[in-house]
Amino acid sequence: MADKVSPIEALPPASREYGEIDRTSKKPRWAMVVDQERCIGCWSCCVICKSENDVPLGMWWNRIDTVGEALDTPYSEDGELRMHWLPLACQHCENPACTKVCPVSATYPREDGAVMQDPERCIGCRYCMVACPYGVRVFNWGTPERPTDFDTGMVEPRPVGTMEKCSFCVHRLADGQVPSCIWSCPAQARIFGDLNDPESAVSRLIRERAGYQLLEERGTDPHVFYLPPRRKRGLWT
Amino acid sequence: MSAVTDTGQAAAPGGTGARRTAGGGVSPGWSVFHPRNMSPALRVWLAVLLAGLLVGLGAWVYQLTQGLAVTNMRNSMMWGLYITLFMYFVGLSAGGLIVASGGRLFGAVRYKPIVRLAVLEATVAVMLAALLLLPDIGRPDRVWHLFRYPHLTSPLIWDIAIVTVYFLISVTYVWLYTRADLARAGSRLAFGTGTSAADLARDERLKTALAWIGLPAAILLHSITAWIFGLQIARGFWYSAVMAPLFISSALVSGMGLMILLALVLRRGGRLSFGNDLVSSMGSLLGVFIAVEGFLVFSEMLTAAYPGAGFEAEPVERLLTGPYAGFFWFEVVAGLAVPLVLLAVRRLRMDMRWVAIAAVLAVVGIFVHRLNIVLNGLSYATVSYPPGVSIGTAQPAGETSFALSLFYYPSVIEWLVVLGLLSLGALVFTAAALYLPLREGGPGAAPGPALQADPGGAAME
Repeated sequence: MADKVSPIEALPPASREYGEIDRTSKKPRWAMVVDQERCIGCWSCCVICKSENDVPLGMWWNRIDTVGEALDTPYSEDGELRMHWLPLACQHCENPACTKVCPVSATYPREDGAVMQDPERCIGCRYCMVACPYGVRVFNWGTPERPTDFDTGMVEPRPVGTMEKCSFCVHRLADGQVPSCIWSCPAQARIFGDLNDPESAVSRLIRERAGYQLLEERGTDPHVFYLPPRRKRGLWT
Repeated sequence: MSAVTDTGQAAAPGGTGARRTAGGGVSPGWSVFHPRNMSPALRVWLAVLLAGLLVGLGAWVYQLTQGLAVTNMRNSMMWGLYITLFMYFVGLSAGGLIVASGGRLFGAVRYKPIVRLAVLEATVAVMLAALLLLPDIGRPDRVWHLFRYPHLTSPLIWDIAIVTVYFLISVTYVWLYTRADLARAGSRLAFGTGTSAADLARDERLKTALAWIGLPAAILLHSITAWIFGLQIARGFWYSAVMAPLFISSALVSGMGLMILLALVLRRGGRLSFGNDLVSSMGSLLGVFIAVEGFLVFSEMLTAAYPGAGFEAEPVERLLTGPYAGFFWFEVVAGLAVPLVLLAVRRLRMDMRWVAIAAVLAVVGIFVHRLNIVLNGLSYATVSYPPGVSIGTAQPAGETSFALSLFYYPSVIEWLVVLGLLSLGALVFTAAALYLPLREGGPGAAPGPALQADPGGAAME
């Protein structure tokens, strides 16, 4: 990857506001916090994810679901209209359903908590996709199509017939940079950090704001935590 | 007539070791594959199968060049017809080892006339099941990864192991049951084994030993195939302890149904002989299997639906009233209720036509049942907020690339690939049924390769 120059490199490195990457930590366990109170459903993180990771047309590693019945539409609760979003990408589970079922270990958990996908090993059986409770894995059904004639981003493109998904931007973590969806969020709704450090921003937020995991009852124990909105936001507030 | 000649030659590899004898002539067994020795109907049948196989191969090659985008599977419906048929054919192989092994271990001698058919059916069905995985995976060129990097917690690896074992057991069974007759007819497929009393006694010991392996292997095969689905907590419709018993019962229903049909066809073709009472008895067994199947389906549905909400109840509600509800009600009425009545009424069970109709309904009903499992388990986003899962292929400008659910129907390419594989299976089965002595032996039984001795042979030209 050294021969590639990321436009992102030109931007300032991750600041404390986005959380922190401590490269000196011996045993980090990376986690992401998504603040539903701050998310405005703008899809910036999804778009930067596409360009950072060279995600082909028709696929998204990261998406913004709208809580409720219709896209970008409020739902009704206690006679009032509410509007919230659920940004959704790989949950990087501590107990992933996908890695267990992969017949060739093409998807596997790293020691730092990131769930990886090896496009060179993958045979394209899509069992991981069946097993994933979050619907965040995407498959290269045909030859990947891109809006540009050249590859974008900082990772190798994946071939036809293989699976891909959010990687926690591990290529950036190695450089001490937070994942691209973190720094690109205009509402600073995403925070990244080390779950093993009780004083990290993510640990504190999860503690103080009652962070929850998606589909907690399935026991997958995601490394992505959501902060519920403290104040239900109506259309007029 | 060149096509017919091709057919004759192509059918030969269904067995192995087609060689000319030292005298220069084709050995007697292989002459059944010469077009001259075939009835016109058989020639047409083989030509149709060969054409189907070629079309299917062409479709697969096309799919290989384009990727799975030519199927109608997408991210929101990631498994389709191929996987459905994979588990269906695993199930169809059930009749075989369970009749052969169970019959032997529990002394059900009345099934002896169809034991060879049973093990042949198992062999061909499990072979097709294994082959159906090839078009389903995105990178068939990497299929060797399964053996180089097996991940032992994956139910798919367990299944590949048991499918391989089951196939080897089935082939061994077919050979063990036919080898004495092959040896009498001087076939090379007897691999030089003899027909002395000691040889035959050894055969019997081996058959019993194999039965002890075969029956547990059959149970395991269907259970493990069920666990591919039933262990997935992501899919409320699948995550159920009843999956393995249900798969065993579905396998028995479809396997027994197909065996009844094949037995009737082969009897008409003169390759088997048995009385109608055997078919009626298979019919009552099939009726019992259908009843168990219906009970398990009901029990599963009730357990999932009773809480009234949640990730297990919602799929049941969709199954009963959603876009695929027609399939479910077809399964219940045509696949379970009607054949159960046909087989429960003694007068109808004695009539071969009604037994055959019940068998067809059971075989089709279980296919639809398998389809329901795949469609209903997969076709809905597990996190059900809009816009849902990204579809996975570039959509035309102005159209969404997300879907909460896709109404899946197989594409033409998927149907053609399946046609090719079914043709291959039918070709292998037909060739084996022509060549191998399917009649259970005993003194005076006509060995298979000497087809001239058969009534069917006499009818030919």
